[in-house]
Amino acid sequence: MKPLQLALIISATLIGGAILLTLNKSGAQEVPATNNVSIVDGQQIIDITAKGGYTPRTSTAKAGIPTVLRFHTNGTFDCSSYIRIPSMGVSQALPSTGTVDIAVTDPKAGALIGMCGMGMYPFQVNFQS
Amino acid sequence: MDSNQKTYTFYVKGMHCEACVLLTESELMEVEGVTHAVSSLKTHTIEVSGDFGWRTPEETARELSQVLEKHGYSLSVEKQEHEKNWSEFTVAIPVALGFAVLFILLQKLGIVNLVNTSNVSYGTAFLIGVIASLSTCMAVVGGLVLSMSATFAREGDKVRPQILFHTGRIVAFFILGGVIGALGSAFTLGPTGMFVLGLLVGIVMLILGINLLDVFPWAKRLQPSMPKFLAKHALGVSEMNHVLTPLLVGVATFFLPCGFTQAMQLYSLTTGSFLAGGLTMLAFALGTLPVLALIGFSSFSIKNSAKAGIFFKSAGLIVILFALFNIINSLVVIGAISPVFNF
Repeated sequence: MKPLQLALIISATLIGGAILLTLNKSGAQEVPATNNVSIVDGQQIIDITAKGGYTPRTSTAKAGIPTVLRFHTNGTFDCSSYIRIPSMGVSQALPSTGTVDIAVTDPKAGALIGMCGMGMYPFQVNFQS
Repeated sequence: MDSNQKTYTFYVKGMHCEACVLLTESELMEVEGVTHAVSSLKTHTIEVSGDFGWRTPEETARELSQVLEKHGYSLSVEKQEHEKNWSEFTVAIPVALGFAVLFILLQKLGIVNLVNTSNVSYGTAFLIGVIASLSTCMAVVGGLVLSMSATFAREGDKVRPQILFHTGRIVAFFILGGVIGALGSAFTLGPTGMFVLGLLVGIVMLILGINLLDVFPWAKRLQPSMPKFLAKHALGVSEMNHVLTPLLVGVATFFLPCGFTQAMQLYSLTTGSFLAGGLTMLAFALGTLPVLALIGFSSFSIKNSAKAGIFFKSAGLIVILFALFNIINSLVVIGAISPVFNF
């Protein structure tokens, strides 16, 4: 049973270490949701940060105005660096650090749902008329 | 015709795949006196004709069992009831649930946020690999490793499939990473290809997981394996299945839907050289190795203990959970259903 014990110890160390490290950091992650929707020169810009999921996860915007979803990445290597918006046929890879705009030319009233390439980080924009 | 020529039908314990049919047949044909051997996967029987001297059917079964013992089969005259061992689930279910909770906890805590760098050195590529192997990618690649290694371990082949899998994976990551770097364009499958691959992996894992539970004998027929006509032309009977499958699965992990793998491929693309791209992907693959090796390792350290049944049932449940997770996510990404998971 020695290899098994060794395997258990190594996996416990790895997982425990990861949990400890994340616990230390999680305090700084909670940024209060500020207004991420702005209108510049008649164009609606929705800023979304992509890293370990999308922040803010839900945005509220106006329907009927030319809109841009602006994704910001900073050292993003996880699933959220790959955007999928099934209803618009978007599959877009983001650079690990940078900004990418995805245009929504004429948003209809309703929810626009997107997610990362594997599907476990969703985001949503509610367009209101 | 010899007067001692007789034909017996024996029940084979441990027969679970197409390759087993060929293996039992070819092994028994080598036994002196045997003129004819035909196995059936459907009924788990083998029909043996030959000159067995004055031995009784029971003695013949025992004698032929010795030949097949090294492959994990045994013959009997009476049909043996399939032992289901439902009681093993009282341990297996809490183990699997505990694992699932730990997995979700790791994701909820935001393990992926540990990467805090914008430029990638080989060292950070390695670290990203370690984190990737603990992230949701574990559901895809880890689930595949667990289902494969547990399935092979149950067939008695423990170490070699794992070494072949990791060799295939690491070599493929280096070469394909290098090709991406040199060509400057990635092998992207596109959403449809990704969906088909993700769904396929999910379904294969689901079948392997159900088989590991060892309570639904009908599921054994669904298990994917080399077609019989292909296996027959291979060198050894089950050799092909046991060598080629892990190697190819290892290579295929390069294309599996895992956010980290895709992001690293995009980075390798920007390096613009075969060596830099290859080494980046190599460092990443080496980073995923410890956790993946541990997952597979657990299968062969436990196989011969009395707890083997519990282990295979726990592994089966975990693989099924991962498979459902993958199938649901595939459907989400294609837009068929709205997002279910929210990590």
